[in-house]
Amino acid sequence: MSQHEVTLTLNGAPVTKPAEPRTHLADFLREDHLLTGTHLGCEQGVCGACTLYVDGRPVRSCITFAVACDGASVQTVEGFEDDPLMARLRAAFSRHHGLQCGYCTPGMLATGYDIVRRLPDADEARIRRELSGNICRCTGYAGIVAAIQDVLASDPPAARLMPLPRRQRAAVSAVATEAAAPSASVRATEVVVEIKDGISLSRSLVLEAPADQVWPVLRDIPTVVSCIPGASLDGPVENGRAQGVCTIAIGPMRATFRGTAQVTLDESTQQGRVVGSGRDGLSRSSLDGALDFALEALPDGRSRLDLTMLYTLKGPLAQFGRPALVAEIADRILADAAAALAARAVGAAPPAPAKPLDGLALLGTSLKAMLKRFLRLG
Amino acid sequence: MKPAAFDYLAGAALADAKSALAAGAKPMAGNQSLGPMLNLRLARPGRLVDIAMLPELRAVTETATGLRLGAAITHAEIEDGEVPDPTGGWLREAAAGIAYRAVRNRGTLGGSLAHADPAADWVIVMTGLEAMAIIDGPSGRREVAMADFITGPFATVLGDGDLLVAIEVPKPGVDARWGYWKFCRQIGEFAKASATVLVDPAKNVNRCVLGALGRQPLVLEESQAVIEGRLSPRDAVTQALPGRSPEALALHATALERALAQANGE
Repeated sequence: MSQHEVTLTLNGAPVTKPAEPRTHLADFLREDHLLTGTHLGCEQGVCGACTLYVDGRPVRSCITFAVACDGASVQTVEGFEDDPLMARLRAAFSRHHGLQCGYCTPGMLATGYDIVRRLPDADEARIRRELSGNICRCTGYAGIVAAIQDVLASDPPAARLMPLPRRQRAAVSAVATEAAAPSASVRATEVVVEIKDGISLSRSLVLEAPADQVWPVLRDIPTVVSCIPGASLDGPVENGRAQGVCTIAIGPMRATFRGTAQVTLDESTQQGRVVGSGRDGLSRSSLDGALDFALEALPDGRSRLDLTMLYTLKGPLAQFGRPALVAEIADRILADAAAALAARAVGAAPPAPAKPLDGLALLGTSLKAMLKRFLRLG
Repeated sequence: MKPAAFDYLAGAALADAKSALAAGAKPMAGNQSLGPMLNLRLARPGRLVDIAMLPELRAVTETATGLRLGAAITHAEIEDGEVPDPTGGWLREAAAGIAYRAVRNRGTLGGSLAHADPAADWVIVMTGLEAMAIIDGPSGRREVAMADFITGPFATVLGDGDLLVAIEVPKPGVDARWGYWKFCRQIGEFAKASATVLVDPAKNVNRCVLGALGRQPLVLEESQAVIEGRLSPRDAVTQALPGRSPEALALHATALERALAQANGE
């Protein structure tokens, strides 16, 4: 992978070292410049431990790439040694027991410094609001808030570090080279977990085909799978047990769940149940779910499929998979699947090959196709 | 946690970015939404083009009817009034409520809109204000109303080679009133429900928008009835969002009630 030379004014001194594009600023500082005062907590922009200054403004160094800072002035907690305002803050943190284990402290000091210089009239409520992006698991925040209040109330020295004028790019710094395709390393899981609680999602789909023609399609697992966008089977289905993969894309995210599902059918009532577990190896996320379905004939010759899902999503994907969002994605997949199932039932060719719903994935390459599909369905 | 390897290009000008986009790169501005997804390897693009400092995307121009904000203007710049606010403060207030200051220092207006997180502030605020997306694509420039720009969760009309370059915010009339309210369990988190209300008598605009729906914001058809008090926010939300749980409806209705109260100066 290509390396880029990254030049910084780091705590006042010019430095240049190579960095891979994917190296975030915190790693670059800690591992290449041995400035370990910057701490990494969550590495996803939530905890605030890695907060430091780029061009005089506090930023999260874990979601700022080193290459994106080429030419910038960076100041870490080490660079504030002789700063009179930071000296006040350090003393106040110490006096008010504003730290215990110290892990969050570099980020707290960075944010505290910004509060004092930017919001001289901040009261306790405002300080707490401004500090809400920095998580401390020891102190209960009381000491930290008191320390910042103390500094604000005691005629603090002027901040030496102030925001610099915003930079614009000076020159093209590199030519893109061919990237290695991300290689999927997923492992199959045999476990089928019956989930007891989770998020539930109910939907009714009206299928443009009579129930007695839909049921034979529904009970044929390979056909059903072929109607689900992004889904495919690994091999033959035995005793209602199927192994396969399903790829789902949400914006720039893409997860390929590989797993096992157990299908049970009740022929007399035209109902069934699918219990499945899947895991996306690359994002270390897992999805467990149970789906109950019932097919009903409608008086107008069409049929209705009632679906009730119960699912749990665990791992990194879960924090982006908010329930309202999952419901929306599920609706889009179901709309596609319903059209394909109905087409199969009446013996027509499916309306479109079942492909992953890869909406905006990788720069929206297939957005147009997806939109067309939605518009036609709508 | 490290992102999957990718190639990086920092373009000097819009033309560089456009040729990179044409070659399949994904644009990156402040990286505040994409970054966590990259770090968690939920997103694994092969190539990123940095558009945060493109002069064309950092430009702010006043037009006859409003203000054109470059897509790479940061939330903090709007919050601090470093760029003009054609609404007389509504943009500044909305910007100040986005995530946390350290995020606002890098996160950009255009990045947030192109990312199209259903719970994002600009997604609903710009829809509520009837802003226009200015898109530069392979076949030239086009303008798309914000309500049409976002097509679903994390989905927009941006196609291959398209780049959101600016957002034009119309200047409201002198008597215009505005309300924006969002519910977050914790400051800076994703909103669970949000709503905007815009009443602009000079332009005959009565607009209520619901956000954080898991998909694109919803412009209420019955906006005028809600604003004129003929339809309660609770009934309007229940009508507009069939199939939602009572708990979700209560949150969305409360968001609309509070946005309405703000717009009414209560």
